[in-house]
Amino acid sequence: MASTNPAVIMGDGTGLTKLGFAGNDAPSFVFPTAIASRSTTSGKSSAQPVFGGNAGSTTSANNNLASKRGMEDLDFYIGDEALKAANGPNYSLSYPIKHGQIENWDHMERFWENSIFKYLRCEPEDHYFLMTEPPLNPPENRENVAEIMFESFNCAGLYIAVQAVLALAASWTSSKVQDRSLTGTVIDSGDGVTHVIPVAEGYVIGSAIKNIPIAGRDITMFIQQMLRERGELDSSLRTAEKIKQEFSYVCPDIVKEFRKFDNDSEKFAQFIVENESKTSKKIIDVGYERFLAPEIFFSPEIANSDFLTPLPVIVDQVIQQSPIDVRKGLYKNIVLSGGSTMFKDFGRRLQRDIRDIVKERITDSEKLSHAKSSGVDVNVISHRRQRNAVWFGGSLLAQTSEFKAYCHTKADYDEYGPNIVRNFSLFSVP
Amino acid sequence: MLNLESSNLSLEKTLRELFTTEKSVSIDRIVSDFDNTLFHISTPDPAEKTKIVLSIFLKCYNDLVKYGDVDSYLRNAYNDSQWYTVLDQPEDGYNFSIFIDLQQISTTVLASPEEMESLIAKLSLLKRNALAAPFDVAFKRYDVLAQEAAVKNVDLYVPEENSEEATSVINYREDETIYIRPSHDRVTVIFTALFKDETDKIFGNVFLQEFVDARKRSIQNAPQVLFSPYEPPLELRGLPEFQNFNYGQQSATSKYDKGFVTFVLFPRHLVPQKRENTITQIQLFRTYFHYHIKASKAYLHSRMRKRVLEYLKILNRAKPDQEEKDIERKTASGRRFVQRI
Repeated sequence: MASTNPAVIMGDGTGLTKLGFAGNDAPSFVFPTAIASRSTTSGKSSAQPVFGGNAGSTTSANNNLASKRGMEDLDFYIGDEALKAANGPNYSLSYPIKHGQIENWDHMERFWENSIFKYLRCEPEDHYFLMTEPPLNPPENRENVAEIMFESFNCAGLYIAVQAVLALAASWTSSKVQDRSLTGTVIDSGDGVTHVIPVAEGYVIGSAIKNIPIAGRDITMFIQQMLRERGELDSSLRTAEKIKQEFSYVCPDIVKEFRKFDNDSEKFAQFIVENESKTSKKIIDVGYERFLAPEIFFSPEIANSDFLTPLPVIVDQVIQQSPIDVRKGLYKNIVLSGGSTMFKDFGRRLQRDIRDIVKERITDSEKLSHAKSSGVDVNVISHRRQRNAVWFGGSLLAQTSEFKAYCHTKADYDEYGPNIVRNFSLFSVP
Repeated sequence: MLNLESSNLSLEKTLRELFTTEKSVSIDRIVSDFDNTLFHISTPDPAEKTKIVLSIFLKCYNDLVKYGDVDSYLRNAYNDSQWYTVLDQPEDGYNFSIFIDLQQISTTVLASPEEMESLIAKLSLLKRNALAAPFDVAFKRYDVLAQEAAVKNVDLYVPEENSEEATSVINYREDETIYIRPSHDRVTVIFTALFKDETDKIFGNVFLQEFVDARKRSIQNAPQVLFSPYEPPLELRGLPEFQNFNYGQQSATSKYDKGFVTFVLFPRHLVPQKRENTITQIQLFRTYFHYHIKASKAYLHSRMRKRVLEYLKILNRAKPDQEEKDIERKTASGRRFVQRI
């Protein structure tokens, strides 16, 4: 009956880890990829080394082997609990993943240990695992992951998928997608950085990937700055984040939008901040930042002067750098993923801007070559699962009956060794 | 994290979200638990989003019915609240279903967070409670036997005569079994220890030896633990599956290639106030055991990585600082020459 066990999807990102089971529409757990471990070795382990902590046995354990050796390696917290523990003494916080790649394998191994046994509550020997990795992850890292998963945890089977490919798969739920292809451009915008990743038939075109240093955090800071300039009563980062999530949207034209706001006071919103005991209320006016904040993707010059290329131009450049035979496919299927792409009308604005750029280039080339172009179809696909697109794509793929055939099993690993995970066959498109 | 909790954290979180969100959405979610257990939380009727069904699937449910009458045990355990009702017909593909009406809960329970928490805690212990049924039956049987023995004035230390006492056989995992056997002065719980991996087997044997020895050293109150790496213990020899077992010689057949861990629960573990705790602890034994094997492997790995780093440092020190190439040298007489390496 082992076949009834659902596959486990683990998406470990720089900021957040998403854990859950295949077939669900949302991850069961989303928490920071953080681990708080004991910083000092001198502190005596307060944990009781007795199985189950049976009543009555808590007093005399000094002669036990466990207390002699110390239990520091089991004394740690992950996720939200880690953040809490790190506030107190004795624990120090660390983030094992930096820039999408795992830096501290010791911490990561223990992080997974806790994820699997405490949060997901599954015996890894019974489950298949789908893990995600960033594009351009070195194969050595994959091997390390496989070593941990197979040798420490004896997991039944493992598939390591590239995040961008999973995000493409997640877009299949959108009604706009007619053919389920794994070709497309993924715009993945999280908290720290935004990636534009072209994918052709399930393979990432590494040479054309571009990063933009504008993402969720910058938008929040921009709102905070505007609140401060206006001298609002509360301009904390949390308030700014709430305003971003609840009120922001993308407008088609800033100038017109400014005029709309000036003529119609209805457009202004109010956000009420309550303190924890709900005794005092602060009323914060929300003004132009409603549409100005997400606008920094399209006109970055309003926020800072370091980076001035708008997102649509970057997307166009990325596609132009990709091989010519896949460019049409990349334009046709531009997929959004990550929390910072959730703004209302974000996809529509992006589609319009990219379309304009493409149209201009086509008219130029028509003028020069005097030949009629057949036209390029530009489609930006937004869907309801955007926030956890990568995880959801994994869940979608891992619940198919063929999934297990694509995984490498423990037996394969024992036979061939870690380098087996350098290659995974791609999901054939159903 | 030293001990594993017996409640399901994921289930807890899902229920809490459902109870506290004002906007009702239809849900269809699976949550897994150890030992091939599966929960399913769903809104069967998309039109009525407040009506939620929580179902559990256990691999060993038939055994639990046979040896623990788990159905009535659970019904008994979950009939104390007005917030949920047990469904007569469990959901298709699952063994036991509980119906929850969110509308009722959100109006009343939310007023007192304590009540909501206790409700959530109770529901998230569903698996523990299901697996507790055969233990409960065995412990009750022990009560009866103990009373009989007291009446007959049997000496406590005389081995019992009626070896016909039924043993509960719970195949809780593929090829892994819990045997529960009550008698008048103890309840014996035997786990089979099976390892798919050779490394795990070695770790496992060390761990189990430690379990056996721990009692000798300091923890006199703990249940007695016996470990037999190959032969089924005496208590099990009457069972049909061990009838043809060749005692005293290592068999080549893999069928018997598993160890046996015996826990002997004495009357002090079976007093009413400790009973529930005993059940909670003992049913997690296998998971706890395997978790710690894995955790110690992780610990060893981290030590190995540290050691490799040290060695690399030494190796790096041994490198020549820079390649000496084509350096002009002078002899004592003033002749110049170029040394080629």
